[in-house]
Amino acid sequence: METKKAKILIVDDEKGLRFGTQRLLEDEGYDVETAENGEQGIKLGTSNDFDVAVIDLKMPDIDGLDVLKEIKSSHPNTVCFIATAYASYDTAIQSTRLGAFGYIPKPFSPEEFIYQVELGVKQRELILDTQRLKREREESLLEIANEKSRLNTIIKSISDGVLVVNKVGEVAYFNYAALKYLNIPELKIGDEILNSLPKKIVDLVNKILESEKILLKTFSTQIDFQPVQELVIEAACTPVPHVDGSLAGVVIVLSNITQFKKIEQIKSQFVSMVAHELKTPLAAVQGFINIMLDPSIRIDKEKEKDYLSRSVARLKGLTDLVNDLLDISRMELQTKQREIEDIDIRKVIQNTSQFLEIELKKKEISCEINTEENLPTIKADLNEITRLITNLLSNAIKYNKENGKIYIDASVGKNYLSIKIKDTGVGMKPEEKAKLFNEFYRAKNEKTRGISGTGLGLTIVKRIVDSYHGKIDVDSEYGMGTTFTITLPINTN
Amino acid sequence: MKLIAIIDDDPDILDASSLVLKSKGYSVITANNPNDGYKIVKEKKPDLIILDVMMDEPDDGFFLAQKFRKEKIMTPILMYTSVSKAIGLDFGKSEMVPVDDFVEKPISPDELVHKVENLLHKFEEKR
Repeated sequence: METKKAKILIVDDEKGLRFGTQRLLEDEGYDVETAENGEQGIKLGTSNDFDVAVIDLKMPDIDGLDVLKEIKSSHPNTVCFIATAYASYDTAIQSTRLGAFGYIPKPFSPEEFIYQVELGVKQRELILDTQRLKREREESLLEIANEKSRLNTIIKSISDGVLVVNKVGEVAYFNYAALKYLNIPELKIGDEILNSLPKKIVDLVNKILESEKILLKTFSTQIDFQPVQELVIEAACTPVPHVDGSLAGVVIVLSNITQFKKIEQIKSQFVSMVAHELKTPLAAVQGFINIMLDPSIRIDKEKEKDYLSRSVARLKGLTDLVNDLLDISRMELQTKQREIEDIDIRKVIQNTSQFLEIELKKKEISCEINTEENLPTIKADLNEITRLITNLLSNAIKYNKENGKIYIDASVGKNYLSIKIKDTGVGMKPEEKAKLFNEFYRAKNEKTRGISGTGLGLTIVKRIVDSYHGKIDVDSEYGMGTTFTITLPINTN
Repeated sequence: MKLIAIIDDDPDILDASSLVLKSKGYSVITANNPNDGYKIVKEKKPDLIILDVMMDEPDDGFFLAQKFRKEKIMTPILMYTSVSKAIGLDFGKSEMVPVDDFVEKPISPDELVHKVENLLHKFEEKR
């Protein structure tokens, strides 16, 4: 035995035997201690954990069986032998009953003795091994139990619903989210469940249960509870195999995809609006061209020129629309890095009104700019702020009357900058005001006919203002004019 | 001479359609919104109505058509459609859509004239 020397205790009142056996065992590589009487034997045997103890039966002070009893009660794993010259059937039974492993009759030969001790040491190893295994098993069982309850807690508390159905359609496991999504008030393990599930889920579960071999894939379906309940659920059904690979059941994971569906709907509405806005001018242009190409329809040069210039105007509108769409998409994707700099809003207003001078002159509109002295600069992207002022000012021109007026005020508040753009134009009805910032919304009434636009200008304005944590207010009276007020926070740092 | 009313909010479409029909000898009256459209039909009693499906609202054309039928104005209606079909608003002739035929935008002069002639012809036979 390479590892540790086995520890042997010899308890014997006969000195010669003590020394003889000690030397014998030490020669065999054992670690030996001896006691010369019962009292010493008990003391040594109870205070040390011996592998093997050989106890003489007849000792003057304390009987060997009592020594055996004491040692066994404090160290039950010490393998004990009783050695005696007075071997009798009764003492054999008694000593075995007290926990002795064996009986060594005196006198014994060295070989016989060593053989017995070796047996004892093996027995001791066996006992210790068994104990270690038992302890390990208990520990791992405890671990599994902990793991199970941990997993259980995790699954119970996730927001997705989990429902496991066995091969015959009984509930094998569920969490509370599953009950909530399926609107089942109560459920017990073992309940027949298929009848209370939506048909779409049952179909998938049956497909998995009835298939001949295990389908290692997930089948999913969407269940729309609207309009009864604002809820759309995705149910993903996956087969659960046994360890041997055979089918144990189906796990159904239910996820709430209501928000996702809403976004999808908004997206498809947006796409159809874009499609409509793109197709309308194209249809007009194509209509004109079709007429001009049709040999059976005669039109004079002047009409043809009119149609061509109107086509050009529609195509320009289309280009503007595509540019606005690209701007919106850039803003959303944030592909363009902002170049934040100190911006003097007065300069932006002046530059923009100069840029739009031709439009102003066309309708004979006068523009009055009133900006406070010592306006603080704001930290922003110049392109975005210019775009903001341009869109608002060009709206103020487009929706203004001939000979109308535009007032632009810029002032400073406690920690914000306020820009007011007021026109004397067509104004808005209350219901039009409510939809103002919607994509492609354009107020359509007898006063706005003939005014072209993409319907995205104010959408872009609102997005820019929002992105700087600012605010936009609209004040309007139908037929009288509109005032847009923008407040942008000043970065005081 | 047959009188045709065209109701569409796009002035370019109104102009182009008018020109095509006039070149084939029809008289044409136009309106660029549902209200005016209703008025000209009531007053001028055209032989055929051409109606755009999407005016101020995506279903203005349907509403106007239903209004005519409710008031027993049984004049044949040809409906202009644009992307409505592509976006899933797939419709055919029905009680909800009491029109007699559809023309998809952009309008080809041949198709427009052909459908107008057909409808007028059918309608005369019925009477």
